Amino acid sequence: MSHIRVWDLPTRAFHWLIVLLMPALWWTGEEHMDELHLLLGEVALGLILFRIVWGLIGGSTARFAGFVKGPGAILAYLRGERPAGVGHNPLGALSVLALLVLLATVTGLGLFATDEDGLAPGPLSHLVTFDSARILAERHEQLFWILVGFIGLHVAAILFYLLVRHDNLVTPMVTGARAGRGGEEAMTAAPAWRFFIAAGAAVALTWAIVRGV
Amino acid sequence: MRHFVLAAAAAAACFVTAAAAQLRPDQAAGTIRARQANYKQMAAAFKGINDQLRSSSPSVPAIRRGSAVIARHAPRLLRWFPRGSGPEAGIRTRALPLIWSDRAAFTRAGAGLVVAARNLQAAARSGDVAAIRAAAPAVGRACSGCHEDFRAPEQ
Repeated sequence: MSHIRVWDLPTRAFHWLIVLLMPALWWTGEEHMDELHLLLGEVALGLILFRIVWGLIGGSTARFAGFVKGPGAILAYLRGERPAGVGHNPLGALSVLALLVLLATVTGLGLFATDEDGLAPGPLSHLVTFDSARILAERHEQLFWILVGFIGLHVAAILFYLLVRHDNLVTPMVTGARAGRGGEEAMTAAPAWRFFIAAGAAVALTWAIVRGV
Repeated sequence: MRHFVLAAAAAAACFVTAAAAQLRPDQAAGTIRARQANYKQMAAAFKGINDQLRSSSPSVPAIRRGSAVIARHAPRLLRWFPRGSGPEAGIRTRALPLIWSDRAAFTRAGAGLVVAARNLQAAARSGDVAAIRAAAPAVGRACSGCHEDFRAPEQ
């Protein structure tokens, strides 16, 4: 059985770095390790910005235009129709989109938030008043728990695929490949220069935001 | 000299009276609320100062206003904690019993803020942004240093 490429390296690296960052961000937030929380948040910001750019110019399965489908395709998938290509199925695409939007929003709120003493302000919190920054800090936390709920749903779906459908989705997210099922087309990788463009754009944008624009 | 001794004795008497005064439970709520509001004012003022320092053209008048709020509150801070305004009051407060059981350490921490706040205000009055920038972090350190020892974590 031949293996086919499903996910490119930048997409997988993004995914697993976020997996590592989430508990670290939760813990440093919970324990009020503000400096470290802000630093890790800035790393997360860079990764998210990279993923958004990668969703425009990355490998075929990383691109929003490739995997985000309308309600028709989602309904067809729910009725049991199977899409031909590799990558996110139309329903999974919704989950990816929700997770990415929530990640970006939680991180975005954190930029404007501050701790209760005004001692560890987010990099853009100088643009809002102390009271607003405190409200945004609360929203930042509340939305984080909604994100955790969606992560739970995401993990539950993967378990469902593994246990009920006997389809292991975790290994391909690690190795980038899975067994081909015949008649499938592998992903089309993006050339390396596109990675450097996306990474450069993400770093530059993150740098500008962290410096306070 | 005699005046100084008298003033010092009067100040000490005030402090001892304030520390010894026992709050009635019905007074504790007001005391706790008032000090929380004062702390919030100081946090907002400190954030305002740092916001200015982040800007490419800091507004010295805005920094003066903020440093005045902190300098006004700092010397009064120790009086916000009369006996009976701790957790025993039965009102939500994160003030730790250590404030009253180690009053000497708490007083030292409070005095540290007074010095830092005074230095910041002096720098703000001079209008020298470099001096303000140099003086501000000590205020933050005084705040967080005291919080670490004498305030319970959130929730």
